Amino acid sequence: MNVTVRFLRPFARLMVSFTPHGKRRNLYSTVLQRYMSSKAPSLSCHNKESISPPKQLELDGWKTTMKSSIQEDGVSVVSDKDEDALAATREMIEMRRLLGSEVPEHITEEELKTLMECPSKSAQRKYLKYLYGKEKLKKAKQIKKEKKAEAREEAKKAKLLEITTSKEQQEFMFLRLWDRQINIAMGWKGVQAMQFGQPLVFDMDYENYMKPFELRNAVSQLLESEGWNRRDVDPFHIYFCNLKINSAYQKELVKRYSGKWDKLLLTATEKSPIDLFPKDSIIYLTADSPNIMTTFKHDKIYIIGSFVDKNTQVGTSLAKAKRLNLATERLPLDKYLQWDLGSKNLTLDQMIRILLSMKNTGSWEEALKFVPRRKHTGYLEISQHSKEVFSKLKKTKTRSFPKGSLNVQTWKR
Amino acid sequence: MTCLSGFRNFPKLWTSTPYFELVVPATFPVSFFLMVTRNQHRWFSVKTTSPPNSKSTNLLVAKARTLKKENDSDRQISSDHYFAAGAAKMRSYLNNNPQQRDHAMPRVRSTIELPTKPLNSEEWDKLKDDFNGKASFEEGVISQMVHSCSSVDVAKSLLAWVAAKNNGIVGYNLLVKYLYLCVFHKETSEVIDVYEIMKAKYKCLETGASSILIRGLIHSDRWREALLLLEDMKKVMIPSKRNYGDCIQGALFHQDVNMAWSLYQELIGHNLTPLLETLKAFFDFGQDINDDHYSNKLLDILLYLRNNQLYPGESFAHSIKTWFESIPGRQWKGQFTTVQKSGQCSSCGRALESIHLSLEEYEFLKEKIMRDVIDGGDQYKKTTPQELQRFENFVNSCPPFDIVIDGLNVAKMFPKRRESQTLLNVVSHLAQKNLQLLVLGRKHMLKPSSRWKEDEMEQVQKQAHCFFADNISKDDPFLLYATLNSGNHCKFITKDLMRDHKACLPDAHTQRLFFKWQQGHQLAIVKGSPRSKLTFQHTLSYDTVVQTTGDSWHIPYDEDQVQRSSYEVPTKWLCLQRKTQAPAPC
Repeated sequence: MNVTVRFLRPFARLMVSFTPHGKRRNLYSTVLQRYMSSKAPSLSCHNKESISPPKQLELDGWKTTMKSSIQEDGVSVVSDKDEDALAATREMIEMRRLLGSEVPEHITEEELKTLMECPSKSAQRKYLKYLYGKEKLKKAKQIKKEKKAEAREEAKKAKLLEITTSKEQQEFMFLRLWDRQINIAMGWKGVQAMQFGQPLVFDMDYENYMKPFELRNAVSQLLESEGWNRRDVDPFHIYFCNLKINSAYQKELVKRYSGKWDKLLLTATEKSPIDLFPKDSIIYLTADSPNIMTTFKHDKIYIIGSFVDKNTQVGTSLAKAKRLNLATERLPLDKYLQWDLGSKNLTLDQMIRILLSMKNTGSWEEALKFVPRRKHTGYLEISQHSKEVFSKLKKTKTRSFPKGSLNVQTWKR
Repeated sequence: MTCLSGFRNFPKLWTSTPYFELVVPATFPVSFFLMVTRNQHRWFSVKTTSPPNSKSTNLLVAKARTLKKENDSDRQISSDHYFAAGAAKMRSYLNNNPQQRDHAMPRVRSTIELPTKPLNSEEWDKLKDDFNGKASFEEGVISQMVHSCSSVDVAKSLLAWVAAKNNGIVGYNLLVKYLYLCVFHKETSEVIDVYEIMKAKYKCLETGASSILIRGLIHSDRWREALLLLEDMKKVMIPSKRNYGDCIQGALFHQDVNMAWSLYQELIGHNLTPLLETLKAFFDFGQDINDDHYSNKLLDILLYLRNNQLYPGESFAHSIKTWFESIPGRQWKGQFTTVQKSGQCSSCGRALESIHLSLEEYEFLKEKIMRDVIDGGDQYKKTTPQELQRFENFVNSCPPFDIVIDGLNVAKMFPKRRESQTLLNVVSHLAQKNLQLLVLGRKHMLKPSSRWKEDEMEQVQKQAHCFFADNISKDDPFLLYATLNSGNHCKFITKDLMRDHKACLPDAHTQRLFFKWQQGHQLAIVKGSPRSKLTFQHTLSYDTVVQTTGDSWHIPYDEDQVQRSSYEVPTKWLCLQRKTQAPAPC
């Protein structure tokens, strides 16, 4: 400690000579002042503890207590190198949690192994952040659940009181079996759709283009799409095409549907859509298509690629449609919406809701309500739209093609 | 991963503030060195700046500004090739209305008035009562101190107050941030104290704290413990290039050259790109030693720069120059210079290496472009197999071309003119020079419309070979392939920087080859008025890369004041000559 104080003084002086910065200069000069004023105590620092001025905080006292405080126990001597690395990583995560970075509090062996397999540091960071978010969500849910249970208990008590007070008989027409009734009704509709419904194909051929987490997202979206379809007045007959048995896709679907998988009212097949349907009635929906969908045709078979693409592999589904020589179309988003930000790729459930709505009403305004609001600033008025087309035409006379129709790499200015 | 998210926005450790860099002329960098006397270390400054006199500093700042301005105006005239450093910035500047730029919103942060001198407990208590932020008070205050680089004593008084409240225990995060401040202010003894505490309290550290500790320890005489920390880090992950760089600098600081080189080898072995400041440290240190072995290693570093197409910064270039000139007996002479259009160094008159690829490189690149850019595992993505076949037949049926034109890119150069007219102008201008032309386009260009006149397109087809791809195919890959297939003399005209196609290439080496080829073969049209004569931005005839002929070295470097994009190359050079051999006119 003696060294510290003796050493600091020349250093402080030196710092002052180096600080031309206005703001910081004050700061340093005050430091210097402090040193000048507190010269006496700092020189006699051998017995600092007894002399230190009453009001001044003891500056270095905490260090001794920190040093003397017991080290956290549990230093396990592990000989195995793999285990050692795992333990070291675990400790590292713990230290980072102390530092306040976004890492989970508890981590399982399996997660730790996944973490070690991450190819880069940023991948590790992302994975840890993901686990942190997951843990936080779980905790919040747990707390909510407990609160609800509490409220339920209280409600029960209140009800008991009520029952004891009023024992009147009430007359009902139905038993409360709504959910079951609804499920059965949806089942009937589903069977009907299986027999007479318009086919809608989900093409599952993109498994190799997706990472595991993208695939999980895709399956979630498929589940939701199927749910939306089931609830509709006039459901599609859904086909899962190119769904290879024992592929990651199939395994995940079976896992998520658990027992229900075999009772689903849809057709899952390993075949490709071109084997099932005549080629000229197929329309492949892809955002990269040059053709705009104008109306919903009830005699066509629409294909949606079940592909979550977070890696920006542009044109994968268009390439596939080109290879199979299929007609392609994209939604008329630009025609009806004032697009703001975000990609024109919509999620699978949004797609199916738009298609269902088109099938039932035929109005694009109604159908495009399912496009997320954050992606556009509003509908284009028809008059405004025609005006825009007019101005575009005027512009293009001298300028360039409409943006989407060509993928020319030009400098637009 | 290791770097803490919280530490990412910290200013650079151990470096002077940007303010210093602006004021102090680059030739006199403020340098510290450490003298070890009786187990105490003190910092000495070799050269101090002018006293903190606001008037004089203002003057200097103003001077720097005007200097910069002059440079800028120079550059506007001299940005003559398409890939010159700063050219893209200039183009975007000329293209955009300058008044519309720079309207970034100032960041608003909830702040507390930071104390400028150590407070006592009552004062801290009072300050805490006034505080109403989200985070805990201590954490908020120390984070803010880190941001504004408060003095160590203020931070220490905060820690003492926290410890007094908390049975002498200070949280790990506070400790790390305090450590950061100590390291920033170069309070070595304090760093060692904190190090002792951390060692006693925690059995392991995470990488953020280790990195800061390494930074702090390398300047003390316990620098070898920094190496131990590095070893600890390696257990969990590969240390960063900065960690290695710090350790190397520490080793050089304490004259342990072998350690420095072995660390450097390790760094390279992990496929990390060393920081330029690490390499600079080797050169700076080299001035004091006369050792053939060491010199050879430095030359190896220069070759490393060459192979990885790295360019030293301005101060690094000065270090290289000083080191060369300090070699006794060889009489090297260094000059900062530029290179003429002909590819001759303005200082010594030697011709620089040609931009052209060697035969093997050329074949290699051609194959890679074919395989990865056009085909890319799925021919349907950019074209179709039928079209590819049609194109190959077409190219093979024609004689080698001299110039390949990206029809759509050229045609859309002047937005107010008809596309086919612009294209026809360019084509007929080039056709007059008796060149074999190829115009690449899409089929829609042949469909008569207000923008594409039929007779003009017919004239284009008379004067040049034409290939029209499908409307949904990409035309750039065809452009690249047609040019490469025609041979080394063939050039192509487009303004496209082809960055997306470069990105399709598998590895950095191939991408560098592509860039080199692109520099030598891409013609960009200088945009004047539509009626003015057609002029091209000239292609480079020489390669911008570190190069040697044994008794001379030419080293391109980045100027501090120019922002260079990754697809641009520096324009300034360091020319080094052996005096005895070629008396260079200076």
